[in-house]
Amino acid sequence: MIIKRKVKIGNRQGLHARPAAIFVQIANKFSSDIVISKGDQKVNGKSIMGIMMLAAECGSIVYITASGDDAHEAVEELEKLLSGNIDELNNKV
Amino acid sequence: MQIMDFLNPKAISTDLEATEKKGIIKELLDLLIKSSDINSKDKDNILDVIMEREALGSTGIGLGIGIPHGKSANVKNLVAAFGISRKGVAFDSLDGEPVYIFFLLLAPQDTAGPHLKALARISRLLKEKYFRDMLVKASDPKDVLRIIKDEDQKKQ
Repeated sequence: MIIKRKVKIGNRQGLHARPAAIFVQIANKFSSDIVISKGDQKVNGKSIMGIMMLAAECGSIVYITASGDDAHEAVEELEKLLSGNIDELNNKV
Repeated sequence: MQIMDFLNPKAISTDLEATEKKGIIKELLDLLIKSSDINSKDKDNILDVIMEREALGSTGIGLGIGIPHGKSANVKNLVAAFGISRKGVAFDSLDGEPVYIFFLLLAPQDTAGPHLKALARISRLLKEKYFRDMLVKASDPKDVLRIIKDEDQKKQ
């Protein structure tokens, strides 16, 4: 199963180091392969450095693509994370 | 943006000596004092800011890399210090491994853009195992400078 979804980055400070770490922590709960793309850049959604390479600012558009058995759940959860304000979460990552 | 746009050549060390997180961050701040990017009187304050950020979650992002960072009213532009610890330092890293390569970033208040671009630039350099290995083995700051400059010119 492959699911692709468009998401607008909601975090005010964009995807800096901590949101990237939180994203990767959640992405790694799923067995699906996860790819994030922005413009012509495609990165591994399970790599902090990959996500930081996107320099995704607040309001920018990215695509989440998950492929695997749990692709649907993965995209649902990751979309919610990216469209919200990650900096206000209390996850210790 | 190139790494040398925010990394002063004087703010590079290949001999970080501290054996714990706070000590390493102090050494990296000393590099920024040496390069005149920050004032020595602001060091304690900036140290607090960076340690508070570490308390939210370690910036030891795995693969032997640490990117301690923070925002400060004491800098006008984004500045960075680079350091190598030969022995590696326990840094509460996300993968539990010691950190050998440190990039400390200090950004002015209320600016997200340059900080994001700098993280992207650093990530692009350090995600290559080849560069990490070269940097850890670099003989002196000049060698580090050469490795980073080569990479800066290659990838934009």
